[in-house]
Amino acid sequence: MDFSIRAANVEDCKDVARMNLDLAAYENVPEQCVPHKFCDLDLEQDGFSKNPFFQCLIAEVPQQHKSKDGYTSIGFALYFYSYSAWKGRSIYMEDLYVMPEFRGQGVGKALLSKVAQRGLASGCNMLNFTVLHANQSSVDLYLRRGGLDLTSDVGYHYMAFEEDALQQLART
Amino acid sequence: MAAVKMDFTIRPAAKSDCKDIWRLIRELAIYEKVVDEVVLSYEEFERDGFGKNPLFESLVAEVPEENKSKEGFTVVGVALFYYTYCTWKGRAVYLEDLYVMTEFRGCGIGKGLLSTLAKVAKEKLCTLLELDVLDQNSRSRAFYAAKGAWDVTAMDNWHTLRFDAVSLNKLANEAP
Repeated sequence: MDFSIRAANVEDCKDVARMNLDLAAYENVPEQCVPHKFCDLDLEQDGFSKNPFFQCLIAEVPQQHKSKDGYTSIGFALYFYSYSAWKGRSIYMEDLYVMPEFRGQGVGKALLSKVAQRGLASGCNMLNFTVLHANQSSVDLYLRRGGLDLTSDVGYHYMAFEEDALQQLART
Repeated sequence: MAAVKMDFTIRPAAKSDCKDIWRLIRELAIYEKVVDEVVLSYEEFERDGFGKNPLFESLVAEVPEENKSKEGFTVVGVALFYYTYCTWKGRAVYLEDLYVMTEFRGCGIGKGLLSTLAKVAKEKLCTLLELDVLDQNSRSRAFYAAKGAWDVTAMDNWHTLRFDAVSLNKLANEAP
């Protein structure tokens, strides 16, 4: 199947928002955790203004291979730059998603490689991300391609202060 | 253990703090037994944090001269962070390192750094503060949990994965 990977532009925000909701459903994230207000407009502001919070890649197929619902943007990878005071600049992949009907055709692999390429071009020494351990096919894919499971191997716990807890913390 | 009363201030780091921050980060690496993994040089760290396009920000905790450390330092704690993104929640902050010198623990400095960071996050319209903690560091995990963090790994079994320099190169060479 023909596909291409390119940098997202502001017109892609609707498709990214659409696929992001699909990804949340796939990962069984409760609907209330994906705020209604979070839509293409938030992505436009946060990703395509003067100081963007993230970068995005789109996987696209030609018109003749569009999805059954008529979409040609069929996958995305969203990433940003992070930092390790021990190793220097790093790249963090927040999302990697391919629509189900286009899986198994190398699109996910290509997106991951492109993120790695972008990271190296920017002087990064590592690529980090989180994955649901129950998502065995994804975990296996990453481990086969040289990824290390820092949680299993070293004992990393990912912790988060969400909105209410963050507000409470700011008040103390 | 009862908290010791001590005067301290928390403020954004300036370039003049860079040597102190570097000292504290290296102490943290020793504490976490990973000092062999530190490949960054001081010059690179200074450029990355205080150059033209900073890749991170820091808050430092400072004590008055009369309370300086036994080696004579007044900068005794650091929180190193940067801005990230969550496509479910929006703008976020990632706390990369939080460290307080051993002789100044139990005085509320760690809490002060964390709370000040939360205020900074709020000012920048962030709705999430994230971090990673080692499983063996049960004291830190308990500290963050007590302040309201939830352990996403323990609760929902999310794992942190990494491609290091060698495997990152290999991955990039496979790009179409």
